[in-house]
Amino acid sequence: MIGCYVTGILPRPKELIKVTRAYNRRRIDERELEKAFEDATVKVINTQLSVDFNYIADGMLRWQDLLRPFTENLSGVKMGGLARWFNNNMFYRKPIIVDDVQRKKSIVEEVTHLKYLPRNFPWKAILPAPYTFVQLSENRYYKDKTEFMFKYAEILRQEIQDLVKPGFKYVQLSDPALVYKPIALSLSRDELNIVNEALKVAVKGIPIKICLQTFFGDFSKILPEALDFPVDHLGIDLYETNFEKLKEHNFEKGVALGLVDSRSSLVENEDELVAVAKEIIESIYHFKTEEVFVCPNCDLEFLPWEKAKEKMKVISNVTKCLREEFS
Amino acid sequence: MNKLFPTQEIGSLTKPRWRVKGYRGEPLSEEEIAEAVNWGRKLRIENSDELVMLLGEKDSSAKRKAILEWSAKYAIRFFEAAGLDIFFDGEQWRSEMYEHVIKKIAGFKFLGHVKSFDYRYFNKATCINKPKYAEPFYLDEFLFAKENIEKEIKVPFTGPYTLVNWTFNEYYEKRLSREIKEFKRRKLEAKKQFIFDMIKEVTRPEISRLLDSGARWIQIDEPAATTNPTDEEMELFVETFNETVKGFNCTFSLHNCYSNYEVLAKYACKLRNCSQLALEFANRDSKQTGMGNTRKGYKEIKLFEEYGFRGDYGLGVIDVHTDFMEPPELVRDRILHVAEMIDDPNRIYVSTDCGLRTRTWEISFQKLKNMVLGAELARKALS
Repeated sequence: MIGCYVTGILPRPKELIKVTRAYNRRRIDERELEKAFEDATVKVINTQLSVDFNYIADGMLRWQDLLRPFTENLSGVKMGGLARWFNNNMFYRKPIIVDDVQRKKSIVEEVTHLKYLPRNFPWKAILPAPYTFVQLSENRYYKDKTEFMFKYAEILRQEIQDLVKPGFKYVQLSDPALVYKPIALSLSRDELNIVNEALKVAVKGIPIKICLQTFFGDFSKILPEALDFPVDHLGIDLYETNFEKLKEHNFEKGVALGLVDSRSSLVENEDELVAVAKEIIESIYHFKTEEVFVCPNCDLEFLPWEKAKEKMKVISNVTKCLREEFS
Repeated sequence: MNKLFPTQEIGSLTKPRWRVKGYRGEPLSEEEIAEAVNWGRKLRIENSDELVMLLGEKDSSAKRKAILEWSAKYAIRFFEAAGLDIFFDGEQWRSEMYEHVIKKIAGFKFLGHVKSFDYRYFNKATCINKPKYAEPFYLDEFLFAKENIEKEIKVPFTGPYTLVNWTFNEYYEKRLSREIKEFKRRKLEAKKQFIFDMIKEVTRPEISRLLDSGARWIQIDEPAATTNPTDEEMELFVETFNETVKGFNCTFSLHNCYSNYEVLAKYACKLRNCSQLALEFANRDSKQTGMGNTRKGYKEIKLFEEYGFRGDYGLGVIDVHTDFMEPPELVRDRILHVAEMIDDPNRIYVSTDCGLRTRTWEISFQKLKNMVLGAELARKALS
């Protein structure tokens, strides 16, 4: 099966940006802000439906950064200052771990606009993966990062379980730090084994599909170890990954191909994307082709909403062409 | 400069409300007009009643131009009255550091706002054609500043690496789509072509005009310098700076702040013709007076030294992100601590961390005065 979906935070549409700026300047109240978030959420959900995406996400418009709901709601975590979000002109608030981290309630379920997600379509949720959450935090409590990573993985499992209940069918764990070069340069086989173990804790007993989505770095750097990760699908940023090295491996898992560049406003040529995807799919599946998803290489929030919308259309068209190719 | 520990600022100063609203043609409140009158008095600006008259006039291009000049004049007197040795006009003519330049170059289109963090956004442009110089973007403000500043002038100039980094690159990525198959290599090559065309077509022509008109010191602002901390990208940043300043008979310095100095330190010694690095340290430092371990915010100077940087430091001793009023003694200790670390007081220019645009005029004025007093205390300590 060849499908498509988004892989992260969507850009806030123009009218929502206007409202959030007014809120920041204390010109409007919480209620108006809330209303604007709801309207915009309906809009970004409808866009996904209109381009026939296979899994629908709520767009995460409220999320100030990928870690924020956890930074704000886990006890033992304090919100630190601004830090650069990888190599982007975008910033996040660093979680500072000051005490044993505890989860007091469902975090992602609470910030997600469940009531606007369409009943008759499968839903997708997106959460920070253990390695990335730990790498981007400042640990002042646990004896080392590994201890903290296992603690967070346990919390993550409870979070995912709570998403299964209302009906989510797919969870993406975003793991940019795993491949981002300045951090991952020294990632050894042993460290990748620890990541594997932490992922096992996070997904244990979870009955829905799980994808580990990497971005901002070369996926081929964590091969072949990543092929053994306890997840159903692996997400690859094709704007950072060495094609030739990727093609040397045989995959027995599904892949999410980041074929559309969320960090460029140039709308891609669909024929070119189809050709690239076809070449990769034919090379990495030596025996049996698994599930393949066409998606943006990372969060679309780096683009203004109108551009993101155009790119979602490209994703949809490329998916349709690929289905014909592989039917 | 002959004087030990000369004092300088970095560039921006908050725009008074009469400047912002007056320029937009919006009506001003009495309080906003009083701000112009009071500061005019405080800074001993001649004929400031003419400004009040002007602010009451109907919107016109002549009025807008005159407001820019008045505002620059106020900022210049402001820095002068605070006692600085080296300064500019508070960037009163510029909307901000990115949009101001891009709007005046051909080949770009603004796409709208994208997130910077939380509920903060910036208007991001895309390059849709080869960048082309259309009109001067810093020249007019420089000519006015030159007429009005008696002290040394340092012109803040947004560097090409940052302009490119903050802009989408449609033109070059599209152009290379047939030539380079792999997306990653295509994007990097497209970025390089974009940068070097910007330098050749836009940055250097404006520097030339500034030099022909008498500019002697240009500060290249590159906040994006360490955004991509890989060797490949840092080499590209160094090449960008060197290509920008190549062959010009002028003093150049580099300003970079809120960045990864461990990375920058490694490459700073490769910057050619970079007489000064203006860096932000106060923001990282403790607020207690004293030397040695208390001055933890300045520890990275050691790295710059170890990697072989031998130019001057524009030493950030004033935090521009807080209203905390650095006492002169704290400024003194920060200066003396670094003078001892690098074993050469002559390489220190006393500076704010960054531009003052997020502080009020009242706070900025007191901060700058304390900075000047602190530099004086440091001079006395060494004499």
